[in-house]
Amino acid sequence: MNEVIKINNITKSYGNVLAVNDLSFKVKKGELFSFLGINGAGKSTTIKIIVGELFPDHGEIKVCGKDIRTDEDEIKRKIGVVFQDSLLDKTLSVYDNLKYRAALYGITGEEFKERYKRLSKIFSLEDICNRKVNTLSGGQRRRVDIARALIHNPEILILDEPTTGLDPGTRNSIWKIINNLRKKENLTVFLTTHYMEEADDSDYIVILDKGHVIGEGSPLELKNKYAKDMVIIYNVKEEDIKKLKMTYHKIRNGFKIEVNSISIVTDLIVKHKDIFKDYEVIKGRMDDVFLSATGYELEEK
Amino acid sequence: MKTFIYLIKRNIKVYFNDKGLFFTSLITPLILLVLYATFLANIFEDSFVSIFKDISISESTITALVSGQLISSLLAVSCVTVAFSSNMLMANDRITGAINDINVTPVKRSYINLSYFLATFISTLIVSISALVLCLIYTSVRGYTYSLGDTLYLIWDVIILTLFGSSLSSIINYFLKTQGGVSGVGTIVSAGYGFICGAYMPISSFSKTLQKILSFLPGTYGTSLLRNHALNPILKTIKYLPSSVLKEIKDGLDCNIYFFDNIISIKVMYLTLIITIIICILIYLFVSNKGRNRK
Repeated sequence: MNEVIKINNITKSYGNVLAVNDLSFKVKKGELFSFLGINGAGKSTTIKIIVGELFPDHGEIKVCGKDIRTDEDEIKRKIGVVFQDSLLDKTLSVYDNLKYRAALYGITGEEFKERYKRLSKIFSLEDICNRKVNTLSGGQRRRVDIARALIHNPEILILDEPTTGLDPGTRNSIWKIINNLRKKENLTVFLTTHYMEEADDSDYIVILDKGHVIGEGSPLELKNKYAKDMVIIYNVKEEDIKKLKMTYHKIRNGFKIEVNSISIVTDLIVKHKDIFKDYEVIKGRMDDVFLSATGYELEEK
Repeated sequence: MKTFIYLIKRNIKVYFNDKGLFFTSLITPLILLVLYATFLANIFEDSFVSIFKDISISESTITALVSGQLISSLLAVSCVTVAFSSNMLMANDRITGAINDINVTPVKRSYINLSYFLATFISTLIVSISALVLCLIYTSVRGYTYSLGDTLYLIWDVIILTLFGSSLSSIINYFLKTQGGVSGVGTIVSAGYGFICGAYMPISSFSKTLQKILSFLPGTYGTSLLRNHALNPILKTIKYLPSSVLKEIKDGLDCNIYFFDNIISIKVMYLTLIITIIICILIYLFVSNKGRNRK
């Protein structure tokens, strides 16, 4: 089975507030799936529905082919969740936290010790196993959170803003571990994040606004649709740039031209080889995709 | 079953490891100890001396009676107030969000709810039995040693009262969803329970109206059971005590509790507490299972 999460036309309201509105999407096995949207877009409600914390008012949801209403236990064994805030027991040690959480999946004794050993190696927990969670740094705590989410060998790892508040080095190391796990164990990662560069590495992205999908596709498809590409030409005179007959912006040591498609840049280069001696072509960024799709920037203005 | 046991273990360990939660739960018993050390012990001693002024009674018996009062008061408050504090873990898990991490596991919600109740019972029992052991050592040092039978009665009372505190706190704490609520209930229970159960001052010293109101509270019978089993063995050692005087002493010490002028027997006290515990557990299981709204 290729689709591990299949959501069909789900709707969820809290009183008069429509949190999720006729939402449909699919997550394929082994992919990094990004679920984007501004705060209040309906991401958390959707996650709660996927993990069985809430039932949708309408629509159907299948996880690994199972229905949450009838196969809740089985689905819960297939999903690991890393919450936005660390929800471990702060006064317990790293080892105890993992021991007690593993037991909730029926993993105890030797079986737990084996899994702990494996995760301890992957997440470098050896040195902190006896430390209480409230004495750990943000990065260490996050590593333990992810280890806890993987303690029962889930097929799907849900990461709810996993790197918020972490320094770039720690973020990088956490993503290295996650990507390794994806490669080695074909783990499906369902990610929500506000860091668009993290979403840029996704296989598929869904952008949510007011509870429904406003954009979806691979990062490239979304960039082509929502973001403008850019070419920066260095060390040329302004009168040369004017010959391109394009709108440009002057920058410190060159000129920046926004284009709707990369083919326009190709045409310009072919026609004006003399001008394009020192240049770079930059694809539209996921930030631009997000802002353009959600219209968030316009609202702010 | 293994999972359930681990869940209970987790709750107990979090409670004992959380220094704030643990020491807060000991506040009321500690206040009581301070009150006894500073003036209550002297007041009770003077009152016993005046009661027994016409009877030949040893100083060690007076001391034992004062100690018996301390034991019964201390256990009466600790079984209930420690249970309330320990059960705050249920509210804290909801406030910190730790419950969400537990809820994403396949463990049934009814097991999670029951685990809080049982963990509270065990944690409170550990604290209260430890307090009982210390009290027994103290009275022994002060010259009176309880028989094995009397000690078993005291242990039984502690178990019953701890079950009462655990079941009652489960219902009340279930509805706490904010830090303010936790602090509020914690403060009210810590400050108020010692008075209404008659631990600080005997219920017999309260006004008749208040005594009538308190006779409707099952906790009152818990205190009285402890008073009976902590003081009766000592009173029995006093020879030539007229029954009318003994009744008056028992009335004054809350060994006798009246419900509309009828003395409540020990059996009825147990029955009242056991029925209350069963009702409280059923209410807790009902509200906690009803409380899960996924729609």
